[in-house]
Amino acid sequence: MTSRLSVLMERREWASLALVKSFVQGSSSLRIGLILGLPSLLLVLFFFIPLLSMVRLSFLENLPPAPYTLSNYIEVFTSEIYIGILRQTTLITILTTVLVIVLGYSFAYSIVRWSKRTTYLLLLLILPFWTNYIVRMYAWINILQQNGVVNWLEVTLGLTNDPSGYLYSFNAVVLGLVYVWLPLATLPFYASIEGMDESLIEAGKDLGAGPIKTFWTVTLPQTKNGVLAGITLVAIPTFGSFVTPALLGGTNILMLGQVIDTQFNQAFDWPFGAALGTVVVVGVFVVIGLTQLAGHSAIGSRGGESP
Amino acid sequence: VSTRSPQRTVERWVEQNGRKAGPLIYGVFLLFLWLPIFVVSFMSFASGEGVLQFPPNELTLRWYTELFSSPEIIDATVTSFKVSAIAVPISVFNATLAAYGLERYAFRGKSFLWLLVLLPLVVPLVVTGTALLQFLNQIGLGSGFVSVVIAHVVRGIPYATLVILPSFLSFDKALEEASMDLGANRIQTFFKVTLPNVMPGIIAGALLVFAISFNEFVYTYFVRDTTTITLPVYIYNKIRLGISPVINVISVLFIVIAVVVILLAVSATNIERVATRE
Repeated sequence: MTSRLSVLMERREWASLALVKSFVQGSSSLRIGLILGLPSLLLVLFFFIPLLSMVRLSFLENLPPAPYTLSNYIEVFTSEIYIGILRQTTLITILTTVLVIVLGYSFAYSIVRWSKRTTYLLLLLILPFWTNYIVRMYAWINILQQNGVVNWLEVTLGLTNDPSGYLYSFNAVVLGLVYVWLPLATLPFYASIEGMDESLIEAGKDLGAGPIKTFWTVTLPQTKNGVLAGITLVAIPTFGSFVTPALLGGTNILMLGQVIDTQFNQAFDWPFGAALGTVVVVGVFVVIGLTQLAGHSAIGSRGGESP
Repeated sequence: VSTRSPQRTVERWVEQNGRKAGPLIYGVFLLFLWLPIFVVSFMSFASGEGVLQFPPNELTLRWYTELFSSPEIIDATVTSFKVSAIAVPISVFNATLAAYGLERYAFRGKSFLWLLVLLPLVVPLVVTGTALLQFLNQIGLGSGFVSVVIAHVVRGIPYATLVILPSFLSFDKALEEASMDLGANRIQTFFKVTLPNVMPGIIAGALLVFAISFNEFVYTYFVRDTTTITLPVYIYNKIRLGISPVINVISVLFIVIAVVVILLAVSATNIERVATRE
């Protein structure tokens, strides 16, 4: 027994030695396998396969082994509750994205064109973004809650004497989402405006266009890819958000993400939750498809030579 | 002869006054971003229990001392650091390999690997989190500390790869060739020439992945068990029960960590590298 084991171990040692040798000397496919094997394995095993298995679960009646069914999807698309939530999620996503584009683009434009301390301003932009997500939501609870900062301002200015606050409302959820995604989307806006050839603006002006016309006909089209990248960066996570509506919307304003959470953590109807998750993934691909149609690859714009 | 159309008047007005709007726009914008952070920091000194009122009646340091005497908070902090201490090195090691391989080699399946790296950054967290939860249950691993570490690694690798990759891109490969010409083999060259040159990128990647891991909530929330409560999960549970002054103090802790980590990462590389996050 022991001798067989030692033979086996010897063989393994010999094999690993051969691996090292071939790594040093050439055989590039083996080398690539050694370098990329582990990261690929981890991402396939703990990201890709789980996603596929979730899609499969969404077609099952119960946790596997169980028969296949379409009932989860039928429930999503026929129940008035879920259609309403889907509609509300879409509305919040569109509204948030539009607001972030307008605000973020204005900021990026103003620091590129009108400021020399760009590095410091960028630092001031990203620091809040790296602050914990829940902390940022909690900060807005402090501000919007009953007797919070907004109420205090209103009462002080004599605008109202009803300090009931603004939490748990549609507007609070949109405000929170805009706040969270604003810095993230501003970065591609900044990059595209920064990288733009400024002599084009001069040319527009020389040809007699005023600043507003120049903006719409020169600057905005030139920075289109930055805008599209910003849209994907905001629309996708907003469509799947559940922390912000849970904390700022409470039970009044429901989004898809919260329903998924409920299905997995309270109702324990995992196949139905998986179906909702798959709907979100489809929504993601719709957003990507739309932005791809509207311009060049917006997603890979940062990843160097991405696919 | 001037035609004074209203459009032209507006254009001229913008031409003359637009410049002044710049500082106003970014001033208001930055105020909007920072005001909530100032409010939280200020309210961490507020006296009074339960419902916090603005402005507070008195200021106190009481909640800061409470922070260090609450076993629950200390436990959560320790759990958070434990998870990050394991997940961050694993993420950075794998991301360095992935960045090196993606930058240096052409091979079949490369675009699929790119997809694997980019997709976790795109798919909403709630989807990946629940997908991971049901998968880990199906393979019998279930929820708990190990699952949380796995989740953090899945979040860390893609991001770190994107941060580290530019270091390999900008690195002068002639140095590697020179090293090999002088008789070093590939492995010696990697450790003696390549690695030291890309180190700043790896350090920045490690810092940022630590920030992501320490702040991670959504994945953790789905694959944790009742004994694996990280600090973000702790404050989320607390907030759902209502507002509490101790949460403001923990918030200040998170803000300080963010500022320190980002400043270190920026000094290791540059602001542009740190500013990319997809």
